[in-house]
Amino acid sequence: MLPNRSRLSVLVFLVPPLLLYGVAVLLPIIQSLVLSFFSWDGISAMQFVGVQNYVHMLTGDSVFWHSFLNALGYLVICLVLQLGGALVVASLLTSFRRGREVVKTLYLLPAVISTVAIAFLFQRIYSIDPVGLINQILAWLGLGGLERPWLSDIHTVLAAVSIPEGWRFTGLYMLIIYAALLAVPQELEEAARLDGASRWRIFTQIRFPYIRPVWTTTTIVAATYSLRGFDIPYLLTNGGPGQSSELLTTYMYKTAFTSTDYGYASTISVFIVVECLVAVGLILLMLRRKADA
Amino acid sequence: MKKPIRTAAVAAGVALALALAGCSAGASSSGSGSISPSGKIVPRQISWLLSRPADGGVITVMKQIAADYAAKHPGFSLNLITTPDRPSYIQKYETLAAANKLPELFDTDATPFAQKLAKQGRMIDVAKLLKSYGLYNEYRPAALNYQRFDDGSLYMVPFEFQEEFFWYNKALFQKAGVSVPATLDDFPAMCTALRKAGITPIAIDGQDQWPLERYIAYQPFRVAGPSYVQTLKTGKAKFSDAPGQKAINWLSQLGSAKCFENGFSSVGYSDAQALFTSGKAAVYNIGTWELSSLATDKLDPSVRNDVDYFTLPTDANSATAANEFVSPSGIGMAVSSKTFDPLVRDFLKFALTRYPALIAATGALSPTSNVTTTIPAGATPLYAKAVAQADNLGTKLAMPWDTQLDPTTNTRLQQELTLLVQGNTTPAEFTSTMDDTLAQNAPKFFN
Repeated sequence: MLPNRSRLSVLVFLVPPLLLYGVAVLLPIIQSLVLSFFSWDGISAMQFVGVQNYVHMLTGDSVFWHSFLNALGYLVICLVLQLGGALVVASLLTSFRRGREVVKTLYLLPAVISTVAIAFLFQRIYSIDPVGLINQILAWLGLGGLERPWLSDIHTVLAAVSIPEGWRFTGLYMLIIYAALLAVPQELEEAARLDGASRWRIFTQIRFPYIRPVWTTTTIVAATYSLRGFDIPYLLTNGGPGQSSELLTTYMYKTAFTSTDYGYASTISVFIVVECLVAVGLILLMLRRKADA
Repeated sequence: MKKPIRTAAVAAGVALALALAGCSAGASSSGSGSISPSGKIVPRQISWLLSRPADGGVITVMKQIAADYAAKHPGFSLNLITTPDRPSYIQKYETLAAANKLPELFDTDATPFAQKLAKQGRMIDVAKLLKSYGLYNEYRPAALNYQRFDDGSLYMVPFEFQEEFFWYNKALFQKAGVSVPATLDDFPAMCTALRKAGITPIAIDGQDQWPLERYIAYQPFRVAGPSYVQTLKTGKAKFSDAPGQKAINWLSQLGSAKCFENGFSSVGYSDAQALFTSGKAAVYNIGTWELSSLATDKLDPSVRNDVDYFTLPTDANSATAANEFVSPSGIGMAVSSKTFDPLVRDFLKFALTRYPALIAATGALSPTSNVTTTIPAGATPLYAKAVAQADNLGTKLAMPWDTQLDPTTNTRLQQELTLLVQGNTTPAEFTSTMDDTLAQNAPKFFN
């Protein structure tokens, strides 16, 4: 039980950010929830349609399901690149004696470049006419048969729009994981090494369990960020060709601001909120079970 | 329809989403819709939300006109808020309409959404307005007709006049041993021959999607005239009808013949144009807004004298004439009835009276027929030829489908067209998908 003065201090410090959070985050979510039961084009009167938008979304909209599956694919690629890449680089960094700062800066650089610049950059990298970096390298290596328009091929476009997003934030997560790895007690590792433990065993038995709390937080942040991914796919392909790189977020945006179907767009946005909550729940569950095992 | 810059889209999206949170349902107009509001002219700032290039002729001329008007009416200013990228602009304008915050003047095509605004009395009747100024008959009929809704009503003022041609490279045609296609059905053979000669047949900006959507409009316009799209968009006609099937099969053939550059769906506006102006692609379908890039001595000397154009081909059974093709008057300017007052009326009269002569002096085609376009220094003979052609157009208009269809059907059509031409869907799958989409969405806008 806190003394009165402390309780007041807690209230003074907590209430303003909670209010701000309520107005900036919770209120729009509630508004979206309400709007999802209406049909509204923005300029005519709103019509209450009950759960019709939800029924259509779940049973009659093939683009929605296509976008949902794409969003899952996008999530997996981003997570592998961001967390896997970050873990590998951070682990290697700990064994560097010199040049750590340079490597850290280089890896962090994409996180501070504007999204639009990244989109233009990758548009050039993937291009086939004029020939871009990837196709040029393939030609130099004698792998001309693999040359393709990466952003126009329906089989490669999802990976092609996911890679820039993964690449962009690898450095950021690498820094977080690197900081966690530095906190692993050296004496533990040394003791294991003296006992003849391999590097892999040291990593799996000592390092990773030690950084698990940071890993969990980083996974949640990366997963929710990827599920809300929008800008790079929108700028690179606008969801195309067809719906091959359409994500739930880009589909929701088009439904609201191109089709002016604000009610249905709100239904999709409610789904995105639920999807993020479910993803976070699943991640927590999986990592807790592993920790308990 | 100009150079794409999607950069604003993301930032605008966030801002618009926040704005949307504050939107009130069922926004209604408080304007009377009268074209002769009573009262004194009280100078103030008026705004024009527009989607035109910041350094283009329309904005340059209107800035000059606004400065002249301000000199006579101290306190007046024209605030030009431009978003040249069309999809971003449409999102901005539709969200402002939803919030009932449209400024005095705003750009829009004659879309189903704009027609809803007009029906709600939120736009001034431009036919009446132009007649009250005595300017109505000065406009090219085609320029006004392009801006009309299906019921013939007119709520937008045109500021441009354009013709869309197939620009082609004579030397590349000669190298491949092909001649200008006599009919649309000759296109696949032309592409095959050009490909065999190692030439990209047609350069297209696939990233922005509207250029490919032009192609689906061509066959129906020649086979059935402008009526097909007018009935299609309401759901009374179908993609499975004969004109639609002709267009779909033709596009599939264009894809099979590899008519467009490799990876066309991710090629942007300037890259597509560069393919043609650098002599790599043989054909480029674009409007006269690019005259200053295509009919100029600044063009690469190795290409300059080989550039020519042909218009949309016809055949013996065409329902429309050779001098009838896509000749848009660009996005129009609507006048908000909510803020229409003596100042706006007076400024528009001042501006629209002076505008034609000033825009014609820049080398652009005026939407009126009472001025002569100045051929700029350094223009090739093609420039004058294109300008002269504007005076000999027929009465039927090939309307771009992106201004006709409801937005959801239009978005799906653009997506499916890319898949059809890339060979990722069959004509039958395309037809089925589009008819389903149309049946689901057209009634929301046209019933």
